[in-house]
Amino acid sequence: MKALAITAVNVKRMLREPSTIFFVFVFPMLLILVIGASFGGSFRPKVGLVNAGDGQYAAAFADRITSDADFNTISYDDSDRLLTDVERGVVNLGVVVPADYDQQLGSGAVAKVQFLGRADQSVVEYRATIEAIAASESAVFRAARVVSGEGLAGFDDAVATARIVAAGAGGLDVATESSGESLFGEGLGQFDLGAPSNLILFVFLTSLAGSAALINTRRLGVSRRMVSTPTSIGQILLGETGGRFAIAMIQGLFIMIGAAVAFNVHWGNLLAAGVLLVLIALVGAGGGMLMGSVFDNDQQAGSVGVFAGLGLAALGGCMVPLEIFPDTMVKIAHLTPHAWALDGFTELIRQGGNLGSIVPQIGALIAFAAVLLALGTWRLRAKLTH
Amino acid sequence: MRAAIIIALKDLSQRLRDKSAILMGIVAPLGLAFIFAAIIPDATASSFDIHVGVVDSDGGEISASFINDVLPSVEAQGLLTVTKYDDVDQALTDVENGDEDAVYIFPAGYSASVQSGAGGTVRMVRNVDSTIGGQIAKAVLDGYLSEVEAVTVSVGTAMVDGARDAPAVRALAMETPAAVVLADTEASNRTLDSTTFFAAGMAVFFLFFTVQFGVSSLLEERLNGTLPRLLGAPINRWSIIGGKAITSFVLGLVSMVVLAVGTTLLIGANWGNPVAVAILMVAGVLAALGIMAMVAVVAKTPEQAANWQSIIAVVLGLLGGTFFPLSQGPRLLAALSKLTPHAWFMQGLGDISSGAGLSAVITPTLAMLAFFVVTLGLAIWFGRERVLAL
Repeated sequence: MKALAITAVNVKRMLREPSTIFFVFVFPMLLILVIGASFGGSFRPKVGLVNAGDGQYAAAFADRITSDADFNTISYDDSDRLLTDVERGVVNLGVVVPADYDQQLGSGAVAKVQFLGRADQSVVEYRATIEAIAASESAVFRAARVVSGEGLAGFDDAVATARIVAAGAGGLDVATESSGESLFGEGLGQFDLGAPSNLILFVFLTSLAGSAALINTRRLGVSRRMVSTPTSIGQILLGETGGRFAIAMIQGLFIMIGAAVAFNVHWGNLLAAGVLLVLIALVGAGGGMLMGSVFDNDQQAGSVGVFAGLGLAALGGCMVPLEIFPDTMVKIAHLTPHAWALDGFTELIRQGGNLGSIVPQIGALIAFAAVLLALGTWRLRAKLTH
Repeated sequence: MRAAIIIALKDLSQRLRDKSAILMGIVAPLGLAFIFAAIIPDATASSFDIHVGVVDSDGGEISASFINDVLPSVEAQGLLTVTKYDDVDQALTDVENGDEDAVYIFPAGYSASVQSGAGGTVRMVRNVDSTIGGQIAKAVLDGYLSEVEAVTVSVGTAMVDGARDAPAVRALAMETPAAVVLADTEASNRTLDSTTFFAAGMAVFFLFFTVQFGVSSLLEERLNGTLPRLLGAPINRWSIIGGKAITSFVLGLVSMVVLAVGTTLLIGANWGNPVAVAILMVAGVLAALGIMAMVAVVAKTPEQAANWQSIIAVVLGLLGGTFFPLSQGPRLLAALSKLTPHAWFMQGLGDISSGAGLSAVITPTLAMLAFFVVTLGLAIWFGRERVLAL
């Protein structure tokens, strides 16, 4: 019972701190929002488009780019601005329809559409698509030149007819379909990838940085006074562990429920997701206990906690997806609890798994929790009884 | 000035002793830059290799020309690796497993149908994860089909407009050159490679935590009761402020320089022209100093200052694109990004990494100096009574 009181004090101390509220509750949600907005959903390369021409053909070309489902088009007025943005990666590629586009076509010359690509792979990636659009437009004007050259119709009329023919039964189509099982799972919500990573990152980060609170308790002599009361050392240790665990659980539940409500994140099988969260909170509590008993300076523990929290999260796949890690680094990543927890959520969210399908992940997290909690309570017991 | 330097030296030696500045200014950013360099595969090393399969159930002129002329020439450019399949099912299995990024399937009777003017449809199946590969594969086919179409559309249009001799029109159309072509303007690459991006991103992110040690120590001096003693000494009050500012500036600049040199030597980061980098660093350190001083002045206690500074540093770092580039994100975020010194620092670095001259740092430097001037002005305005009139 006394253990519960100690736990409650720990939670109250955390909730009273405005900056903790920000880092524990507000910032994780902010990050899920920003990451989802920037990287979530289907990626469409951004094409910057300048239409310097004022004729109907230039407009038709520009329209082909704008209506291309593969691209997200952004209009520019100025091709110098566009070039700079292509170079800086603000847009992936640029297309400039020249001022004399219609004039060149009408006079039988070659109209040159500018393609702006960075000197890297993106040139290869996108040029082919723009080139296909140019070739398709070119086909219409070639046909019109043949027809008007034969004196069968005027150029503009022939272009109109050629467009109808190209769009009609004589046109050539490609029917595209896709097959295979997606790496990231299909029908994934915009925020489904970022939410579990951030849940894991922040629960561990808060637990490790929160070790400063435990050090403060010791430094201010609160622990010693607790020991002097008729409270068993076991109760005190249980209470401190409970405090770290409760804080981790409160944060974890907040992020899980908040992400589900605000961003419509589907966590998959709720029982299994709950088990993962409890285990993450236990591992975090163990890590916090260990750090809080090994360090004696709360500022140092806070800084090391933030660094360790961010570093382990990066290493464990919570900042850059494990899927793109080199093979060796994937193995190293699984020395962190983060990678196991992430694998667990991946299975639940993307593959629709249940408790049975995440047994290895549960086993690994139990092992992390057992070792860290044992070490943490052992060290803290030693510190308190000396 | 002498008094300011003595105060700064005292503060600096104190910071070196408690190691927190070294941890925040050097160990943490360097460690994270190492981790990012290790976990992100080198984009230039992984070859850009798209595998496509092709099944020719048609056996006609149009499919043959694509398979024997177009695909080999694209393959020669190193863009595609082509495999010919006899069996549609085998091709479909391979694309499903991801062995092929995409397969083209020309149906039986395709060429005949196209040549008769009835058109035709090529089936293309792409692997679900091969977004770019599938897009390129489709573009290659589309480009070729447009060539074919130029002829069939010419014939079709001529027939509509009353021509009689289809073979003659066909011959004429084949001789007519392309009317629209692409002309390449090669843009230089001003984006940072991932190793340099994370080295610089972490450096500027942690810079804001490093400079706070100096400006916030004024609050500590007040709490510890050493500030009245300083004020009682026969030195100008501005010397005290100056000393704290020098401490922040030196801590920030030293950490940035150590990080730039360290990441260059150890993980091959490419920061670019040292003079330009140095200018950006000085401006960046000043901007960080101004912002952190402003927060410190508004706060009541050292804890409160540290808490608010952490929040500001983290939010600005996130918006400034130090963990991931926001310039490619939604336009609103990209615009918000420009309200942080971080974004200007990263943009300036990107520009000089592409070999742009010293003039490329002018705008980012001015932007960062504007942050410095405005925030320092606000800090002095808010702090003129609170801090000095003790």
